[in-house]
Amino acid sequence: MAELISGRQLRRLATIGAVAAVVVLYLCTVGLVEAFKDRNVVTGVITLGAVMLLAVPLIAGYRAALPSRDPSAQTGAAQRVVLGLLVGLIAGAVLGVFVLIASTVDLRGVLVRISPPLLEFISFGLPSGLALLVITGLGGLMGALGAALLVSPARIRNAVTSALIAVLFMSMIEPLLRPRLEQLDYTAISDFLYKAHGLTEVASILCFVVGAGAALLWQPGNDFVRRTVEAAPFQTRRRIRGWAIALLVVAVLILPQVSGTFLAQVAVLVGLYLLLALGLNIVVGYAGLLDLGYVAFFAVGAYLTALLTSPDSSLGIGLPFFVALPIVMLGAGMTGLLIGAPVLRLRGDYLAIVTLGFGEIARVLFESDALRPWLGGVQGILGIPSPLPVRIDLELGATHIFATGPQVLYYPIFAFCALAALFAYRLSNSRIGRAWNAMREDESVAEATGVSTVNYKLLAFALGATTGCLSGALFAVQLGSVFPGSFDVFVSITVLAVIILGGMGSIPGVILGAIVLIGLPELLREFVEYRILVYGAVLVAMMLLRPEGLIPNRGRQRELHQAESEEEVETLDGDLVPQRSPS
Amino acid sequence: MRFRLPQRINLVSTILWGLRIVVTVLVLAGSWATLSSGKLAPGDWRDLIVFGIAQGSVYALIALGYTLVYGVLFMINFAHGDVFMTGAMTAFFVARNFGESGFLNSNPIVALLIIFAVSMLTSMLVAIVLERIAYRPLRRAPRLVPLITAIGASLFISNSIRGIYGEQSQSYPTVNALQGRLDLFGIPILKTQALVIVSAIVLMIALVYFVERTRTGRAMRAVSEDKDVAALMGINVDRIIVTTFAIGGLLAGAAGILYALVFNEVDWFMGFLPGIKAFTAAVLGGIGNIAGAMLGGLTLGVLESVGPFLLLGGANVPSPNQLRDVIAFTVLVLVLIFRPNGILGRSEPGR
Repeated sequence: MAELISGRQLRRLATIGAVAAVVVLYLCTVGLVEAFKDRNVVTGVITLGAVMLLAVPLIAGYRAALPSRDPSAQTGAAQRVVLGLLVGLIAGAVLGVFVLIASTVDLRGVLVRISPPLLEFISFGLPSGLALLVITGLGGLMGALGAALLVSPARIRNAVTSALIAVLFMSMIEPLLRPRLEQLDYTAISDFLYKAHGLTEVASILCFVVGAGAALLWQPGNDFVRRTVEAAPFQTRRRIRGWAIALLVVAVLILPQVSGTFLAQVAVLVGLYLLLALGLNIVVGYAGLLDLGYVAFFAVGAYLTALLTSPDSSLGIGLPFFVALPIVMLGAGMTGLLIGAPVLRLRGDYLAIVTLGFGEIARVLFESDALRPWLGGVQGILGIPSPLPVRIDLELGATHIFATGPQVLYYPIFAFCALAALFAYRLSNSRIGRAWNAMREDESVAEATGVSTVNYKLLAFALGATTGCLSGALFAVQLGSVFPGSFDVFVSITVLAVIILGGMGSIPGVILGAIVLIGLPELLREFVEYRILVYGAVLVAMMLLRPEGLIPNRGRQRELHQAESEEEVETLDGDLVPQRSPS
Repeated sequence: MRFRLPQRINLVSTILWGLRIVVTVLVLAGSWATLSSGKLAPGDWRDLIVFGIAQGSVYALIALGYTLVYGVLFMINFAHGDVFMTGAMTAFFVARNFGESGFLNSNPIVALLIIFAVSMLTSMLVAIVLERIAYRPLRRAPRLVPLITAIGASLFISNSIRGIYGEQSQSYPTVNALQGRLDLFGIPILKTQALVIVSAIVLMIALVYFVERTRTGRAMRAVSEDKDVAALMGINVDRIIVTTFAIGGLLAGAAGILYALVFNEVDWFMGFLPGIKAFTAAVLGGIGNIAGAMLGGLTLGVLESVGPFLLLGGANVPSPNQLRDVIAFTVLVLVLIFRPNGILGRSEPGR
């Protein structure tokens, strides 16, 4: 062995260590650790804040141990574990020194989150010198573990990962599961699983074992179900697909009955955003027009509904909801045309900023005193009647169906989402959808082949607006009132993040995006303040790592990776073709 | 821009013409009503215009960052407003410290210079890190990809600052030396506003000198003409792009302090509106054009300060100042629709 670690490796090591240290410090100073330090994962053993801090050196160790691209610097397993250990030690030591400094000098005047409880949490309440050693050691340990995970055989790696995910998942769904279990008188199960909002030790071990066992039993490449289905003749496959969809629909229909009001409430929120995302997906995903003022249509839908149905509004006509709905849709469609028409000729990035401007204009107008006599100013419009029954109480043979509040609202929202998804799906495979595809990939070529880009862009805007206004109408009904404060730019950004995470132009992707970005934060109450932070990070990370989204649309994926497959492409000036070097 | 009647009446041009007519009528009617009602004395108008120029200088400094980056990368650095915010928020703690220790009033020039330096360096650092992490890997990506990244980065930066420095807005300590008015050629002007205008002018002159006269400035212009050819001429394109971001950051940091001097309050969300408005200013003047950014900033500042009173004051609209953002955004929309190349921009075929 000539030398233990080469110069290049040392540099790589230092970089990864430094990045890990910065991330750890960031998590502490931005307040994420503080927010989650009391959220138990396994009660009395570990909290979510600790999981976050420990995960950083773990991942850094894993990355440090990745085989280097340089073939001359091949390293053995033990040596790679040492690399992981060193990276972890760097991250731990930096955090330790930071804690040491923070406990002697009061940093709270500037860094508001560095509170004494946080410092005590990080240093385990140990005296500062000892704490430094312990934190550094723990960092090193996690780094080494991460590296060890990488060097170990794939089976073990998968088992450990899936076991850890199982434990985390079970503890995360506590706010969902426990109230429901108690409501249904399964107190014994809930007491066995949970204690003080975290898993009990026994339950966590059980989850770990089950997770690991499942991963060990399920072998990749031994996927019996998939192979059988793929081997089946065409008709059988179609039938299977039909059954699968039917099963899914039934599952979605009985979901609020099984899960109780809390999940129904979450589902209503997810549904509202899903509807918005499906609408924006037509504009962004299909037609390729980045609309950052989409909240305007949401607001128009909500305000039109309020004006038409509320007897307290300035119109005061109090139409029934389902009479008002077609008018609302028409009105929003017209708004879409009005906003769309002037901006059609703009290039993609200008269009984004102009629509952002439109969204802000809408909000300021709704908020302004000038329009107060009509739109109610900051106070908004109250007294929107709900067209839905307050409760459903049905005896169907042996089953007893009972639903209130969100459990009732869930159904129309689900119905609208299903309709919108079906509509968008059929649209994407139609002549119109193909025209949008052509337009998105290359506007000039599309125009040359006879696609009227102006009309198709307008159509996309109008359809997107109509879908968005449906969500707005339901939102108004859900709250019973509308306030301008609900329609800020963050709604547009959230919807955009949903689409980007799931995959532009992909309906399953949009659904997944809505569940992950809207549903999950509801389970983590501490998370509310950091939502937008995470959405921002999601946007950046997705664009850097996987611009086509988690469940990509095939055409879109090809477009986004064109640049990589053909280095020197002759391109025209479209927005979604690789950018030509400016001339 | 050539005006000609469309050969065939269609929906889009009808709406565009309708928009032109509506805007013209509204502007004329509003101004007429206000001017004939005589609600504001000439002195009020003068104050509004001076305030508009001060505010416009801040916009112009931020707009320069947009324009410089657009010039070399052809991308809208949506996070630039947050680069501006970061500087002002970080320097606040220095300013507070100076204010409490009395250094700010015993030695205002040195103190202000230090505050400026802290803000500018912080913003520069953020801009450099931003370029390295978020934009450099996406140089060859389709055009919307870096824009979406920039939006994400903007949210990430502003919310990180919210987490790190806290949510509440902070007010900068007052500088006694900058209290009161100054008489400039018979025009009374607030000392802070005078400082803002003067420092903006100094920074802009420095920038023009840098771009036009130095070696790096020439390299920047070369990169903005053609990256590939510039690279062939031995210019380190990556380094020049980082330099561009760094200069944009420096100017944004300075703008942050000037903004804090005019408005006193800073918070984590302060970058959003000035960011969009500065972008508007950059587009208004012609994006990619340094003189255009300055002109656009001043124009927008004055329009925004005078506009609400001029257009709405006579019509008895309650609290017209609430609608100033609407005026700024309407200017943005109208400029982008009717004259996307801006006042000084040359027309770029195919864009």
